Amino acid sequence: MEIDREDGRTPNQLRPLACSRSILHRPHGSASWSQGDTKVLAAAYGPKAGTKKNEDPEKACFEVIWKPKSGQIGKVEKEYEMILKKTIQSICVLTVNPNTTTSVIIQVVHDDGSLLPCAINAACAALVDAGIPMKHLAVAICCCLADKGYVVLDPNKLEEKKMTAFAYLVFPNTTLSVLPKGSSVVEDEPVEHGIITSVTNGVMSVDDYFLCVENGRAATASLSSFFRKNFQQSQKNSSKAG
Amino acid sequence: MDAKISVSPTSLVDKIVVPGDVVLDLSNMSNQTIKLGGGLRQDNDAISATRAGKLSYSKPNKYSIESSHKRYIPRPDDHVLGIVVDSRSDNFWVDIKGPQIALLPNLAFEGGTRRNIPKFEVGTLLYVRVVKTNTGMNPELSCTDASGKAAAFGPLRDGFMFETSTGLSRMLLSSPTCPVLEALGKKLSFEIATGLNGRVWVNAAAPRSVIIVANAIMNSESLSGTQQRIMVEKLLAKISD
Repeated sequence: MEIDREDGRTPNQLRPLACSRSILHRPHGSASWSQGDTKVLAAAYGPKAGTKKNEDPEKACFEVIWKPKSGQIGKVEKEYEMILKKTIQSICVLTVNPNTTTSVIIQVVHDDGSLLPCAINAACAALVDAGIPMKHLAVAICCCLADKGYVVLDPNKLEEKKMTAFAYLVFPNTTLSVLPKGSSVVEDEPVEHGIITSVTNGVMSVDDYFLCVENGRAATASLSSFFRKNFQQSQKNSSKAG
Repeated sequence: MDAKISVSPTSLVDKIVVPGDVVLDLSNMSNQTIKLGGGLRQDNDAISATRAGKLSYSKPNKYSIESSHKRYIPRPDDHVLGIVVDSRSDNFWVDIKGPQIALLPNLAFEGGTRRNIPKFEVGTLLYVRVVKTNTGMNPELSCTDASGKAAAFGPLRDGFMFETSTGLSRMLLSSPTCPVLEALGKKLSFEIATGLNGRVWVNAAAPRSVIIVANAIMNSESLSGTQQRIMVEKLLAKISD
């Protein structure tokens, strides 16, 4: 079935990705991530000594501040902060620096659809830049369901408005391993088949949801390899004296 | 549909890795002791990376991830530059750009007794050695080397301190001498103390030499050896006009 998207992409095609790290001077780690026209800036400070009240001092604590492009901070921003905080807590190793707080600040530069996945990718890149210990990276993607029943990845704002439902999905990245293929399994499934976060909006059937998850997971391979290549490029550019 | 690497690489040593990559398989290496440096953690039989950087192997058996950041992870026997933030009854609290504030005991000086405890004001810059780092505890420092001698540790007076990344400090401390320092040393005379935590202190007779050295070092982070020499020559030529 040929599906027409306004910008001519196929249903599973992502928008052009761009990522730069260490762009801000004061934070300990910073990154900007853009998918098409959606652009998000993330900054990471820390780890700093001390945890907030009601947080477990045996683990590292994370604090997320979401700054929208304009307007006051409201419930939507608080919800994004909570989702990001939970996602970051599952990808970072919490036992390495107990009783410390790491702050992540997200600044939305432009919102053209798929904002939360873009922010999660930017936050992950900023944490990598700051050197915070992580179990693996997180790659986030938005999958939406059109009323005719087909799944479209990485919508822009106009497409998002027309869809019946959408899901933000976050998966672990595909990793290089010296282990023989298939040995890193958790309960009979490779580790990469896990899912870290899923936020859904709208009404969709269970089968449609699983179809979204499959399409999203297939796209994580290209996102992971983009991140890896981007990182390798920046390491080559800042070559140290031999 | 997965674009997964179909053939597992045999070794990731000296390659760039990102968090999550499994870099060593312990089931293949039995009867060997390996030391894990920074950025690696053990998951039963697999060693995986927790930071992004280059996997390096130093003989005889130490693996670590080399990466450059603005913050410092304290390791024992590192020489760092700390700033005093407070003094308590039995320690000084010293900031070394790490996740926790470090403690410098009042008696950790050569010939230190209860009667001659040094008085450091808040803001004093100290060249110290990291003694102990345990998870969850504040790192401990000392102003003596392992045998109890002073060996150039202690407060650094005058001069100028600036912050860099940990990668640049490692480059400045590498042997043979880093090209930028060699090129500067041929024309200027100056004193320099480099901390592995990304702080560098420079002192010279004339303030302009201090500024030239500091600027040259800050510019040399992403340059190769020959580029550094050229940069220093251009800088010195401009000044001596």
